[in-house]
Amino acid sequence: MDIQGKRTPIIIAIALLWAAITVLGWYEMYMPGLFLGVILMFLHMVLGVSIKNKVSKKFLIYPLLPWAVIWAVSFYLSDIHSKMFAGVMPDFTILGFHPSFSWTVILYWIGGVLTLTLGFVALKDEWLSEKDWEEFKGKVQKIDERQKGGQQS
Amino acid sequence: MSAGVKFAIIGFSFAMLVVSLLIGLWAKRKVKSAKEYFGSTGLFGPVSVGLSSTAAVASAFALVGVPGILYSTGNAMNFWMLSSAAFAMAYIILGKKVRAMSEIGQVASLGDISDLRFNNNKLIKGLMSVIIFLGCIAYLAAQIKAGSELFNNLLGWSPIVTGLIIFGILTIYTAISGEVGGLLTQAFQGFVMVVAGIIIIASFFIITGGFENVLEVVANAGTVTSGDISKTFGPGFLDAWGILPKSTAMAWVIIPILGTVGQPQVLTRMYALKDPKDMPKLGLYAGLAHMIVGFFALVVAYGALYLVGSGEIAPLAVADNAIFAYADYLGLYAQLFVYAAVLAAAMSSASMFLTLSGNIIARDLPSAFGKDFKTEEKQMQVAKITIFAIGILSILFSLTSAEMVAILGTFGWGTLMSGTFPVFIIGLLWKRANSKGVIAGLGLSLVLNVASLLGMTWPGALPWYVNVITISILATVFVSLFTKEDINDEKVELVLDL
Repeated sequence: MDIQGKRTPIIIAIALLWAAITVLGWYEMYMPGLFLGVILMFLHMVLGVSIKNKVSKKFLIYPLLPWAVIWAVSFYLSDIHSKMFAGVMPDFTILGFHPSFSWTVILYWIGGVLTLTLGFVALKDEWLSEKDWEEFKGKVQKIDERQKGGQQS
Repeated sequence: MSAGVKFAIIGFSFAMLVVSLLIGLWAKRKVKSAKEYFGSTGLFGPVSVGLSSTAAVASAFALVGVPGILYSTGNAMNFWMLSSAAFAMAYIILGKKVRAMSEIGQVASLGDISDLRFNNNKLIKGLMSVIIFLGCIAYLAAQIKAGSELFNNLLGWSPIVTGLIIFGILTIYTAISGEVGGLLTQAFQGFVMVVAGIIIIASFFIITGGFENVLEVVANAGTVTSGDISKTFGPGFLDAWGILPKSTAMAWVIIPILGTVGQPQVLTRMYALKDPKDMPKLGLYAGLAHMIVGFFALVVAYGALYLVGSGEIAPLAVADNAIFAYADYLGLYAQLFVYAAVLAAAMSSASMFLTLSGNIIARDLPSAFGKDFKTEEKQMQVAKITIFAIGILSILFSLTSAEMVAILGTFGWGTLMSGTFPVFIIGLLWKRANSKGVIAGLGLSLVLNVASLLGMTWPGALPWYVNVITISILATVFVSLFTKEDINDEKVELVLDL
């Protein structure tokens, strides 16, 4: 996916998302704030993954998109179960946890690591391949040699 | 606690201190240049860098303060402690760019990257250094206070004596071996925290019988009273948000996860990694170590709640004692590892922030004011003296100015984020970020951090630093957008394209 020309709009979106999340926080609108938080993190990672403004589709499909969905679902289910059992002992548990908190453990914590951390290892070449790195170092070396030559002449 | 147990805890903790000293002295042999002394640049593999990153991120606050907050206010803080995916996220966002900067110029400190990115702009380097220094000193003072009070509570030793022994030794090996010794000792201390975590997690299941029992006790215990101290439990305590305003839980998702990429202890480790292609493995090792340490804090808090709720121990007079009350109940093996783990957490973060502060005072700030040292040897000599002086002054300051340390304690994670986001996150992800924008972002960050320290209030229940970070980012982006573009160095352009 080519993000040439979209980098500035993405950065503006990042700045506006920070502003929106902060204002939502002032007014205790925590669920929209959390969903926007997932988008905010997603946009940072899209920029981080890109090489020469190209974002790997493979990396988007896994781990980035599943991670975003898993976290959004985690917050949604936590809130549903928090409201469902407000002020009372839940009539069931998940892995022994309060159902609301179980999604934090299963999806936010373990799901986050299984998608982002393992996906990053599995698709490391989509983030930075040997070829990309060597090409980068080669270009730096050429500039250094040219600058050195320029100074000597 | 019997004299024998106290003796065993002292022996175990001091053995860890001696091993740290020996590692630090051994590491001196690896230091051959300023780049290695100040930055460990390109020296280490993912295991040691991963353990050291976890240890430096998980300060004494993570093991003492967090269980205390969980004990008092329920689960919200667990979003922070279970943020183990944050390392992978940080490296995905910025890992290759920060590491690549060390290929295009001399990088041994965060100020060096700022110089490369923004054409040696002294004001940017100066402002960023001052903000990071504030955060570092706050962290350093808090670690010294926590470590010294640990042995003061346990043995009744004077905090000054304890502080001078523990952190005096730490100051010596950090000054001698710089970041190389710092990173290796942090890796060892991280390993101690992980081992302690595994032991305490296993013991939690033996003592409580599992999370369902904890939930049942917490939901049904009502109010437990002993003497003047009461603890009120309730069913909402262990739902995802706990009993704090839910916007606080929201902030404790976004700030630790996204904030990890803005912590100097994570940024500096990106260029300490030998092979940038090992960054994914670094994310895995740091993430796994963090999972254990994070879960360690969770089970300690749950264990303390279970013991108090079931009447096994009296309600805690001070919530921060949750970890010690729990360890004391478990007995000698837990006490040995818990006290050592807390000391390891305090020492690892303290050495990290000591070298960062030393680098700022001896390297980045003089350079921002136009003072450069003639030789690398002279620079390292000045840094050693500076680290030693900062170490000793911090020990004396943190143990004699309790009120000031408490005020400074509000600086930390969020302050560091507001000082690094304009330069590194916006600066390295966006070519259009220019020096005027970054100066505006950093200037506002500095003013608003200090104003918040002096009592400025913000709307809503969000932690104050969220507002400061947002304003700093908005200023950086929009001032950059509406002012003339900087001409970037062509090698910097290559990094930004990577």
